Amino acid sequence: MLFFSFFKTLVDQEVVVQLKNDIELKGTLQSVDQFLNLKLDNISCTDEEKYPHLVSVRNIFIRGSTVRYVYLNKNMVDTNLLQDATRREAMSERK
Amino acid sequence: MSFFGFDPTAPQQQSHPQQHQHQQQQRSQHQQQRSQQPLDFEDTYKGYGDYQAEDEDFLNDETFGNNVELGNNFDFGHSQQQQQQPQVGQPPAAPVPHRSYVAAAASGTSQQAHMDAAVDLRPMESLWNPNSGAAANTAGPTGDQAEQPRVLSMEEIERNQRQMQMHPPPPPPQGYPAMQGYPMPPGNFMPPPGQNYPMMAPPPQQQQQHQQFQQMRPVFNQPNYMGYPGNAPPPHHQPQQPHQPQKQQMVAPQMQFPPQQQQQQQPVQQAPEQQAPHEQQLASQVAMPQMDRSSSSLSQSSNERDNFKGHPRQPHQRQPRNREPLTPEEQKRLEVRHAKVEKILKHSGLMTPRDKDFITRYQLSQIVTEDPYNEDFYFQVYKIIQRGGVVGESNKGLIARAYLEHSGHRLGGRYKRADIALQRMQSQVEKAVTVAKERPLRKQEKEQSRENSNTEGSNSAGVSSAGQSNDNRDGVLGKISSSLNSKAPRRQLQIPTSNKTLLNSLLVNDEHATAAKPTNPDALMEVTESLGNVELSQTARVRRRSSYAFTSVDQSSVLSRSGGRKFVLSLIETVYEEVLELEANLRSGKPIDNKKLWEALHINDELYEVCPFISMLSFDKGVKIMPRIFNFLEKDQKLKLLQTFFSELSHLNIIIISSYKTNPEPTESQLKQIDIFQTVFLKIIVSFLSSSSNFIEIMGLLLHLIKNNNVSFISTSKIGLNLITVLISRAALIRQDTNRSNMLSSPEISTWNEIYDKLFTALESKLAAVFPPKEYIQKVTSVHLKGHVAPGATPQHYDQAYIWQFLASLALSGKLNHQRIIIDEVRDQIFGTINEAEQLKETAKTPTESVDDLVYRREKLYQDLNLFLNVMGLVSRDGEISELK
Repeated sequence: MLFFSFFKTLVDQEVVVQLKNDIELKGTLQSVDQFLNLKLDNISCTDEEKYPHLVSVRNIFIRGSTVRYVYLNKNMVDTNLLQDATRREAMSERK
Repeated sequence: MSFFGFDPTAPQQQSHPQQHQHQQQQRSQHQQQRSQQPLDFEDTYKGYGDYQAEDEDFLNDETFGNNVELGNNFDFGHSQQQQQQPQVGQPPAAPVPHRSYVAAAASGTSQQAHMDAAVDLRPMESLWNPNSGAAANTAGPTGDQAEQPRVLSMEEIERNQRQMQMHPPPPPPQGYPAMQGYPMPPGNFMPPPGQNYPMMAPPPQQQQQHQQFQQMRPVFNQPNYMGYPGNAPPPHHQPQQPHQPQKQQMVAPQMQFPPQQQQQQQPVQQAPEQQAPHEQQLASQVAMPQMDRSSSSLSQSSNERDNFKGHPRQPHQRQPRNREPLTPEEQKRLEVRHAKVEKILKHSGLMTPRDKDFITRYQLSQIVTEDPYNEDFYFQVYKIIQRGGVVGESNKGLIARAYLEHSGHRLGGRYKRADIALQRMQSQVEKAVTVAKERPLRKQEKEQSRENSNTEGSNSAGVSSAGQSNDNRDGVLGKISSSLNSKAPRRQLQIPTSNKTLLNSLLVNDEHATAAKPTNPDALMEVTESLGNVELSQTARVRRRSSYAFTSVDQSSVLSRSGGRKFVLSLIETVYEEVLELEANLRSGKPIDNKKLWEALHINDELYEVCPFISMLSFDKGVKIMPRIFNFLEKDQKLKLLQTFFSELSHLNIIIISSYKTNPEPTESQLKQIDIFQTVFLKIIVSFLSSSSNFIEIMGLLLHLIKNNNVSFISTSKIGLNLITVLISRAALIRQDTNRSNMLSSPEISTWNEIYDKLFTALESKLAAVFPPKEYIQKVTSVHLKGHVAPGATPQHYDQAYIWQFLASLALSGKLNHQRIIIDEVRDQIFGTINEAEQLKETAKTPTESVDDLVYRREKLYQDLNLFLNVMGLVSRDGEISELK
């Protein structure tokens, strides 16, 4: 639940998603679900030369399991809060 | 009828290769009879019975349709078409209607789609085209007359089955001429008289259509998602609306049903097909048989496509203007549109609102939680921080909103009717929470962990226990597991936790044993309230030696003396947990008991040579938690904590880092650490001292500092100097305040003087040492510079204000002779500072430093210096020191 909770806070923010097939997509995070499937809006591919088929795509649904990285802006994350959330998660698991 | 579309009455299936194997012996015997006789079981038996019968197998027909082949994944939209294609060449002998519910549903949807639009936006025919009869005659779709009866209702199929049982399969030729698409007498759509297959007769047809109309409702409701019928027409149906008038017109003149029936029940699309003009029928029949045979149970939607592609002349969408031949462009456009529509309709209507309701609830139940602040902690708190506190909004409302906003349920316009949908959605979420509650999650997890601890981290235990409980849901919604959900995802690593904690505690005990040296619990150390007692205890004396301070330079040695690094780290985590717990209690309004937190801090722990609390402060996270700890401590607890803190200042890692003596070359990260400590911990102390402490307490703290530490060493560190400054300046302030109202008793003042003397003695002759050497200053500035490589950033200069502040507060509390000593000792620094300031004035400006910057620096130097000089009634200006007027 922690990651889901975390990614929910990134909704409407611009992120770069790198897929496991090396495609990198920049776009506004539209929604995320508990499988960390992502919906991106207004996407642009960082390497359009290589993946021309993505040039005309505006929005995309990405299955969570195909995501390698999600690049975030540093100020999108409240690290202290994230630490706390992590601790809470660990605590609730131990119970 | 049998499983999976196996058709016992279809002779052509003999050629199926699988069957071949199974039936080699029987085959020779039955070969001859087969052509005339009804097939018997042995003939057609495929060996499926070899598998054990499962529960509720008899429902398979209903579930899968009866003409679907084994081993195929279901494509509910098009399976029939694909599967039937290879049989094109086979004789259309099988009289049994190859109807499946799947196909019926599919064809139903396409009709429904038309109906949708038709019901809403059907113009009156008479208004639109008085010549519609002619239009229909010329442009009416052709050849699809065989289509219509294919869609059978449940009752019809049952009736068929009953009849089948009563009458062995009839000879093919008599069967269903219309259905098979054979040429038939023009205009005679009815089966030959005397045929007892009522599916062909109008009454069932009407019935069927009526049923379809009822079926339609779900589809119609679909875009509203939760079953609000009759809102704005669903967007994806709109493209069809333009066709409707024309179709109605085509149909109207040839109406055979009572008009009101037509209005309500007749699927528009079918009508023209059924009543197609004769000549068109004849023309198209040339093309039709092949197609019909191949798709005796084709869904209507796929049929549409076939017609469209194969027979461009026939599309029923054709409009009156189509009297002129379609231009290729138009045709293409139509084709594209048609493909689109079909794509949309492909799977529509498969699920009823109830189905969707159920699935939505299930999906939501995976997301929602009863305790958002626990399981969705980050999101909840983050949102509150971001928005500045939207506490009123419940988790459920948020989820419902998010779900609606992002799941594409537009409700006929994004904002229209959104509140109703929201309410509806919220009630959905409520239900979902109930589902989540009912989930036997906790119990299972416990079982799982128990099993795991037994099997030492084998994955299988957890998986199997999870699997069993979910059998009932599997297959309906794919693989669903209630114990492996987003809250408790499958672990990559399973560590037997119970064993680990045991091991940990053993380890800790071990550390306790080795670390706990027999210390001499000196009573004097703890006597703080006896203000007059400034006598040094044995241990305190040891600590005051300057050499002792250097034993704490090595951080690991300090840590080991307070229980070991691991122990300290785990203590910090325990403290965090306690704080989180207390904060959760605070949120939910439960009573707060900080006993456990206090214990976790180990403030009074005599077991260790260095208090573990002090060691906690050598980690950033230990420092950061302090303000939150302070929220939950009583005043006397805070005081106790600070007493311990000041007593053991020498061991404080931050002091050692920030002292130029022990750390002449600080790294960037160390400087950062110093910053953090300053902003976090000093702030707490200052606020505590200024808000809730009295004079005696401050004296007590200072006493603790002087008694147990080497003050001259501490004064070489920035943090140490700051701490001393905080104490004596606060004391000076209180003294000034109370001087006016005469609140300080004489014993208090005398004690203060005594303590001040102690402090001053400790610092005397070493006051110049509070100024860090030039090398250190250079080092720090260079590190700072490295950290801020950004162009345009003003170069950092070592800020000595803290030193002058210290000297100022020291002088403030002292008598005249103290002040004289101070000035004597730091005279060089005073003049050095003045010189520096004057030099800044003279230096030609370098490209990196603007005039403003130089002026600012100069002002700053004078300002800092004057802070100190003002105490003694002096002021320095433009290179001169004069008396303050």
